[in-house]
Amino acid sequence: MSASVAKTEAAGYFSDGPPLGKIAPSGGSVVREATSVGETPAWEIFICKACGLLYDESKGDEDSGLTAGTRFADIPDDWACPLCGVTKADFEIYVAEPVRQARSSTTKAPRANRRPGTVIVGAGRAGWQIAQTLRTQDTRMSITLVTSCNGDVYDKPLLSVAMARGITVDKLPRETGALAAQRLNIKLLANTDAIRITPASRQLRTSRGTLPYQHLVLAHGAEARSLPVFPPELCWRINHLRVYSKFRAALGMTPQRVAVVGAGLIGCELANDLALAGHSVTLLDIADRPLATSLKPEQSQQLLDAWTPLSLTFVGNVQVKHVAPSATLTGKENEKEIATECGRVFTVDHIVLAAGLQTPNALALSAGLAWNNGIDVHAETLATSVKGIYALGDCISIDGRINRYIEPIGRQAKTIAASITGGPPAPYALTRVPLRIKTSSLPFTV
Amino acid sequence: MEVLERPLTDLQHDFDLIKAVRELAKGPLADLADDIDRRGIYPKSILHRLGELGALKAHMAEPGKPADYGLAIAAMTEVSRVCGATGFMVWCHDVCGVYMEQSGNTALMGDVLIKHSSGQTLGATGMSNPMKTFAGIETFLLHAKKVDGGYVVNGTLPWVSNLGPDHYFGAVADIAVDGVVKSEIMFLVRCDAPGVELRNCPSFSAMEGTNTWAVRLTDYFVGAKEMIADPVRPFIGRIRAAFILLQTGMGLGVAQGAIDSMWTVERQLGHVNEFLDDRPDDLQAELDDLTARIMLLAKTPFGADKQFIIDVLDARAHASELALRAAQSALLHQGARGYLMTSEVQRRVRESHFVAIVTPAVKHLRKEIARLSAEEQPA
Repeated sequence: MSASVAKTEAAGYFSDGPPLGKIAPSGGSVVREATSVGETPAWEIFICKACGLLYDESKGDEDSGLTAGTRFADIPDDWACPLCGVTKADFEIYVAEPVRQARSSTTKAPRANRRPGTVIVGAGRAGWQIAQTLRTQDTRMSITLVTSCNGDVYDKPLLSVAMARGITVDKLPRETGALAAQRLNIKLLANTDAIRITPASRQLRTSRGTLPYQHLVLAHGAEARSLPVFPPELCWRINHLRVYSKFRAALGMTPQRVAVVGAGLIGCELANDLALAGHSVTLLDIADRPLATSLKPEQSQQLLDAWTPLSLTFVGNVQVKHVAPSATLTGKENEKEIATECGRVFTVDHIVLAAGLQTPNALALSAGLAWNNGIDVHAETLATSVKGIYALGDCISIDGRINRYIEPIGRQAKTIAASITGGPPAPYALTRVPLRIKTSSLPFTV
Repeated sequence: MEVLERPLTDLQHDFDLIKAVRELAKGPLADLADDIDRRGIYPKSILHRLGELGALKAHMAEPGKPADYGLAIAAMTEVSRVCGATGFMVWCHDVCGVYMEQSGNTALMGDVLIKHSSGQTLGATGMSNPMKTFAGIETFLLHAKKVDGGYVVNGTLPWVSNLGPDHYFGAVADIAVDGVVKSEIMFLVRCDAPGVELRNCPSFSAMEGTNTWAVRLTDYFVGAKEMIADPVRPFIGRIRAAFILLQTGMGLGVAQGAIDSMWTVERQLGHVNEFLDDRPDDLQAELDDLTARIMLLAKTPFGADKQFIIDVLDARAHASELALRAAQSALLHQGARGYLMTSEVQRRVRESHFVAIVTPAVKHLRKEIARLSAEEQPA
């Protein structure tokens, strides 16, 4: 092996982008020598695309026989990168990118606490609630919250009524994730995917490293169901703020034609909100009336009557057969077509699939958690089948039943926090809570 | 030196093969390991012997013998347990066999593949650059042009390992039309062919005997006999899990070797070592769980389901992380004796670094897992 390595500041950097030491404070510009003597053009720096070595014209490369001041253009074509051996042609002009914050997605950890504490997965209502409850009961426990979103705190029910109430997307978060984490003195790992649980060694594997835990609380919720007929690149599935924000942005400021497929709770609430905001909405369902599983037939009729003044058309008894980008030559980009089994075709600008929720099972499966329609938890302790792991909120099932409402979450958090902190037991009790249907034109409580 | 044996009973595989590989590793390979690491000795005879034993073809289907990726990984683990560099070269050779077998090109199969599988000829892989290019991290370094009867390829690949004058390796070049990359080809580079030049690399901090060179291709001709895949992307999609799964043998082996060295000082130093994190019994339990998980994944090496790929990527990342932790902990367990330049313990620290940075590195694996985990939505 030949050629010495330590020649330029780049030596030692492999293919990991620019060495930090050479980055101009302003960033984004080609790095040049500050001095410009007479008419000499500024020195330039070239980077090896294979290994990241920098060739600085002002310094040359003594070991290759290139004296200081040798222009890159004047280097012989058979010159090789002194670090990795690729040719001159594999170099390009070095443009310093601005320094990205080392880990923009992580908030500062609380004071070092060597015992692995509690790790929470999910930053929806359930995740923040258990974090808050734990912190209230134990001021010193190390708590880490892992979430695939940015962790902002918001009220999900608002997503059903925000347009009609004129709430812009930026007003939906009550508190940023970073501020909430600071307030509760917890570590927030935002934009981080929880990949796998290894219960034997009590570790949560994530896309930003592996976290040891003493207690793990799963609060990752459910996701909007996907169906094979509805290609994800064409159809919105809205169950959290991140996707909702993108959807609102896609709607823009002009009235749009929107098809909402599925006239259950989310479908009806969203369709109503879209129509009140001035969009032209077609609401499709297999059933012959909206909210067929929650309302009596006469209530469904009252709802349809309440919708009469709006541009909201309910189409019942239809099964979607096919969804595709529009084939008609209207010149409108992004137009989509929904074809039904019975031969009807709807041409729209946006499609929202509201076919209910399902709990993702990969994390639970990786830990071998008992599964029964959702993460199977003990009815009173909310413990999963694996020691040290609890779950609450939309991702759990008790005796196979799912109960995806806001009200139980606070009580569930108290139950789990009592177990984790060793406080007096606070057994959870399943109670029936009234269901508020937020169809703004005519709300129901059932 | 006292090495506590790991029982073979946890293996569902060909015990005889693993026993034979273990004998070779503990004997002749262990004697060479330091020379391979620091003096650049290339363990050609060891690789040939591994081929004779059948350790380089466990993952290749033969008449009457289905492919067994788990066995191939287990064999690589036994080699890496003693010498990470040689374990890496076993992977280079093994995965080259996958390229040839899966190419469907008769010129790369039949007798040619039998010679390869039995280690009579030796192969390698120059796929780091294309793999990173497909992940959006780099751009292609080799460029092909269509000519009569095939292509000519130009460009330089840095750091291709397990090379020799009569070796060969799989590589990818892009084909640009009017400066825009239109497609790629994957092909075998024969080191003894015209237009192939092996150039020296600077020293690495470990694993000097891996015969690692920069390869410069000048109008290298790729004919039908050398073609592995055209188009390349569906082929890579198909072999991706197999490629990554096989690599786990390196991490598992380096981690096991490190745990072995912790036990050798346990009787003497256990009274102080008990205050350390990552004790050998904890690490062994984690390693055994991970091994079991990898053996399960290895039953379907050509799986392409998204969740399966995430699992494979994560298993590879876990093996790297465990190798890093175990090697680090072994050094703390051994203290000064592990810090001697001749100690396998400090060598293994450097080997574990390699396991964690060789493509796909831990950070690449995580980036890819994050990409695959993201919900697909309308643009």
